Amino acid sequence: MNGTPRLLNRLLIGILGVKLLVIGGLLVLLATVPAVGRWWQGWSAGLWDGVRGLFDRTRFPGQTMSWLWIVMVVLLLLVIALMVAWLAQQGKGRANLLVAEDDAGEVPGYVRIGGGVAEQALRAALADRPDLAGATVATYEFRGEPALRIRVQPRQGVAPHTLAAEVSALVEALDAVVGKRTPVLIHIGSGARSRFGRAERVR
Amino acid sequence: MSQAAERPYGDAGTTPAVPGPEDARAQQAGSGAGSGPPGMEKVLTRETTSSRAAAAVIAAVLVIGLCGYALLETAVRAVGQPPWLLDPQTAAERATALPAGVPPLLLGVTGAVLFAAGLFFFLNAVLPGRRARHVLADPRAGVVVDDEVIASALARRARLAANVTQEQVMVVVSRRQVLVNVRPTSGVPLRAADVQAAVQAELREMALSPMPEVRVNLASSGVIGA
Repeated sequence: MNGTPRLLNRLLIGILGVKLLVIGGLLVLLATVPAVGRWWQGWSAGLWDGVRGLFDRTRFPGQTMSWLWIVMVVLLLLVIALMVAWLAQQGKGRANLLVAEDDAGEVPGYVRIGGGVAEQALRAALADRPDLAGATVATYEFRGEPALRIRVQPRQGVAPHTLAAEVSALVEALDAVVGKRTPVLIHIGSGARSRFGRAERVR
Repeated sequence: MSQAAERPYGDAGTTPAVPGPEDARAQQAGSGAGSGPPGMEKVLTRETTSSRAAAAVIAAVLVIGLCGYALLETAVRAVGQPPWLLDPQTAAERATALPAGVPPLLLGVTGAVLFAAGLFFFLNAVLPGRRARHVLADPRAGVVVDDEVIASALARRARLAANVTQEQVMVVVSRRQVLVNVRPTSGVPLRAADVQAAVQAELREMALSPMPEVRVNLASSGVIGA
């Protein structure tokens, strides 16, 4: 439901994984196989000579320092900024408004209903049930439109389909109040409270 | 299994579905049908698979740390100051001379650790990463249920059908199979078919997708005084 970029996550993790695999494998081979060591020394020495030549050619006129160092600093800063941006994408997608529409009536203006209305109404409706160890409701933005995520934690032994039907009935009542069918996800999960709390014996 | 045995009641347990590479995509596409209005399938597939956020955070922090250190040394070099730990130029020269200068054991162990970390990230990226959840049919909303909840509901039903105590039933729910282990009370006859029928009826009411199969195991030795 949230906006975590899953494909990007897998792509970047995969790239990092492959790099680490290659470096790790190379180090192991260097430590164990002498022939690989000889090849590596020849190959990397050639590469290093090329890089050193590049640094020599890019010196500031009249100085010993290359401006490539400054380019490297900028590049590293860029990579760090991109990584921070990637981190900020994880788990985003919370929304504040449930409805924001022009109601097409005689009074000019927009109708806005905050997500807190649905969240608190549903939470209050679920709060007193003896078969639940906890319930949370949150508004998310999914594909540009608001959606509700209801997470309930039933006690041990509660049948999930009857619980789902009852929560779904509550959602339909909410639809009637708000006047709009918002997409709803019901997650019936288990946590520490439902696992170690008392089981529901009577219904 | 071991996961379930540690619980105080011992009647609920889940095993995360072991991913089979061949049917991964087909199942993900199929699991979305039957719950909620159209357009919900995307949400349901997202809910039944892992987002890889944890691995992503670890990877990003790792890269930020490495880049931060490299930035420090490069910046120090760029303004012409002595290096903090290792000059980049010396580092590169040592790397080119690599099997020499470092004890082979240290080199091998470092390589193995890096390889293992790489394997962790790579497998995280490639495996389907299915969560131990099932989709439940509902006309209004999309519903996902943790396997643990299904297991404890089925265990309750099996316990009532077998007329035993809570500790004598253990249910393991995986993606395609429900395993019901019952230890009968010593001296009280118990038919596996009854338990099987009860659990199957409950599962049919749940209308899970994908629908798992039920297997009932009766322990050969009973419990005394339960």
